Amino acid sequence: MAGIHKSEVTISQSGKMEHDLLRTVNWNGRFKLWMGFLSLLLLVCLYFYYLQLRDGLSVTGMHDIVSWGIYISNFVFFIAVSLIGMLISSVLGMIGYKWIKPISRIAEIIAVAFALVAGLVIITDMGRPDRLQHLVMYGRIQSPIVWDITIVITYVVLSLLLLYLPLIPDIALCNKKLTGLPAFQRRLYKILSLGWADKPGQFKVIKRYFRILLIMIIPVALAIHTVTSWLFAMTLRPGWDSPIFGPYFVSGAFVAGCAAVIIAMYFFQKNYKLQEYITNRHFDLMGKLLVLVSLVYVYFNINEIIVPAYKFKPFEVEHIGNLFYGHDSALFWMVQTGGLIIPFLLLMIPKMRKPLPITIISVVILVAAWFKRYLIVVPTQLTPYYPIQNVPERYHSYTPTIAEIAITVASFVLVLMIITILSKLFPIIPVWEMKEENENQKQ
Amino acid sequence: MKNYILLIFFVLNFGFVVNAQEWTVPAEEAEKVSPYIFEDDFVTDGEILYENSCTSCHGTPTENNFMPFSPPPGDPASEQFQSQPDGALFYKIQKGRGIMPVFENILAEEEIWSLIAYFRSFNKEYVQPEFDYGDEVLSELKFDLDFDENIDKLVVKVFSDGEVEEGIDVSAFVVGMFGKFPLGKTKTNELGLAYLDVDPSLPGDKQGNLDILVRVRKGYAIEKATTSMKIAEPAQQTSLIEGRHLWSTGDKAPVWLLVTFLLIVVGIWGVILYIIFGLFRLKKIG
Ligand code: HEC
Repeated sequence: MAGIHKSEVTISQSGKMEHDLLRTVNWNGRFKLWMGFLSLLLLVCLYFYYLQLRDGLSVTGMHDIVSWGIYISNFVFFIAVSLIGMLISSVLGMIGYKWIKPISRIAEIIAVAFALVAGLVIITDMGRPDRLQHLVMYGRIQSPIVWDITIVITYVVLSLLLLYLPLIPDIALCNKKLTGLPAFQRRLYKILSLGWADKPGQFKVIKRYFRILLIMIIPVALAIHTVTSWLFAMTLRPGWDSPIFGPYFVSGAFVAGCAAVIIAMYFFQKNYKLQEYITNRHFDLMGKLLVLVSLVYVYFNINEIIVPAYKFKPFEVEHIGNLFYGHDSALFWMVQTGGLIIPFLLLMIPKMRKPLPITIISVVILVAAWFKRYLIVVPTQLTPYYPIQNVPERYHSYTPTIAEIAITVASFVLVLMIITILSKLFPIIPVWEMKEENENQKQ
Repeated sequence: MKNYILLIFFVLNFGFVVNAQEWTVPAEEAEKVSPYIFEDDFVTDGEILYENSCTSCHGTPTENNFMPFSPPPGDPASEQFQSQPDGALFYKIQKGRGIMPVFENILAEEEIWSLIAYFRSFNKEYVQPEFDYGDEVLSELKFDLDFDENIDKLVVKVFSDGEVEEGIDVSAFVVGMFGKFPLGKTKTNELGLAYLDVDPSLPGDKQGNLDILVRVRKGYAIEKATTSMKIAEPAQQTSLIEGRHLWSTGDKAPVWLLVTFLLIVVGIWGVILYIIFGLFRLKKIG
């Protein structure tokens, strides 16, 4: 009697879970409104990209002295945020932490969206995107830019696979359980589920592939952001000429990524009514993770400044002076204290790791992280080794134009669109993994 | 209105300063003219001298970037210099005044004239006044060149009116693409021979040839000639981007880099493709 009773409970429990998690897969009115809004915004921004295509990069605020502006800052930021997929699914997952299960797909969707759009952002920084193929035809393998393009493409594909593999059983499930789907969606599910039939052999294969991917994504993710940092560190310039730029970028990436995941978690928990699956405990643990990675990042920040400042090399001094009390000092101190030190101190208080406070703190961190990339990219170019002379007055500073800002906004709009569509097309929480987890706990 | 007063005040003041510091040159000094012809070579000599001894205060001619001293040194290409006769400039360079150093004991007369030749090269209208050699008879100078490999010296044998003579000035230069590299300056010995050191490691052309300019001078008589001589190391001209380097062209990437890059890319993409093909076989797995 008791045995039967227990299995009934399990079935109904997993039935409820299936119902809860599949419920979010739909195209409701709010989704359409939101997508409509994003599309409109995108259209406006695309107009500015049209202007840039027509007139070239002269529509931007970039010039001979500052030839990398907010496009490249934004690119670095996007790559940074996308690293979080690797940290959560791969590093924490392989250590054996079970709590990451319900949020791992969120992290992977964020990784895919940001990495995909990062590739586009590089293209927006090109005056002649029609010559993109020249990179393959004439690129020098000695150039970090070639390494960067190679690794970005590799990372996008790996992230897509990492998202897709654990999705296959869930797609099959969607196809089986959901009713009233539009025809295109059914066809999509059918193609994407690759003939999945919940067979043990299939699970074995998927799990093996997934493990390979989890291992491989770690060096590739480290490489992508290290190579991104090398775009700067391999040049002889004050502020960039630093041997710790790789780890400095990677640790900063985890800070930005954790913040992005926390914001997304909050959004999905509230909007998709997933309080039972994304719990306060998850926010608490993500908060602790964020404190850890912030500490590492603060450590690298101190190194980045104190080592050159102590040696007092002329051009480094000018650069650091500019950050500390010069032209960019207001932004610098806001980012370093307001966006890094204060947030991580606050997060050490347990109450601050409740969903709402931690989300607000994460928003601050994420915004600061964007400006941090700006502070890494732009001021260095304004303190070159060659004196800036015989140039028009506006070359002595850099201010992004409306077109530049609009095109950057477009990249964010695209990221949001990709996240929205993916989270509506597929269950945002891995159903079969949660069921399996449930089963394991029972035994 | 206020501006007018200021302007007048300024002009008056300016005139006062200039007048107060008028640098007068004795008439007979101002009439002195150069016995040397202001030809290209001579101008180049002046240019080299100028860059070594004068640029620091007088700046680059035509750019008006002299030091802000009072009185101002002035730009040699300017009206301030060009309106003065050669003799006046000669006198001022020799004697100096205030901050302007005395060059009398530092520069030979010939050198000072070469500086003036250089200044005049900025003035299209300038016509060099003729020097009256009077009854001074210019000797006819001739010389032979040889290179002594054992002691790495250039040997110049000078004949003045067919005779060897001691004490004739001899200088030699290597003629380069952008200027002259001085080998040295010396005088002939009692055999009419002058020896000039040549650094054997000087880069020559592919055969080791160098263009040597030799100039001999006795009084106002000057004789010079440029000769190509095989006295240097044959130059091994290697391009900086020849061979496999990080800074070479794409097709000359270092092997280690190519191998590392390709191994990584092929390795990772191999696994990716393995997984993708594996996924397509998922259906068949029971
Ligand atoms: C230390 C700085 C300095 C250096 C070096 C120097 N000068 Fe002068 N020179 C001056 C100053 C100052 C004056 C103006 C002197 C005055 O009017 O009392 C001047 C004046 C002159 C004048 C007269 C200009 C006039 O308006 O009458 C001549 C000619 C001249 N310099 C030539 C030379 C030459 C040739 C050299 C290099 C061999 C040279 N100077 C190096 C500072 C310098």
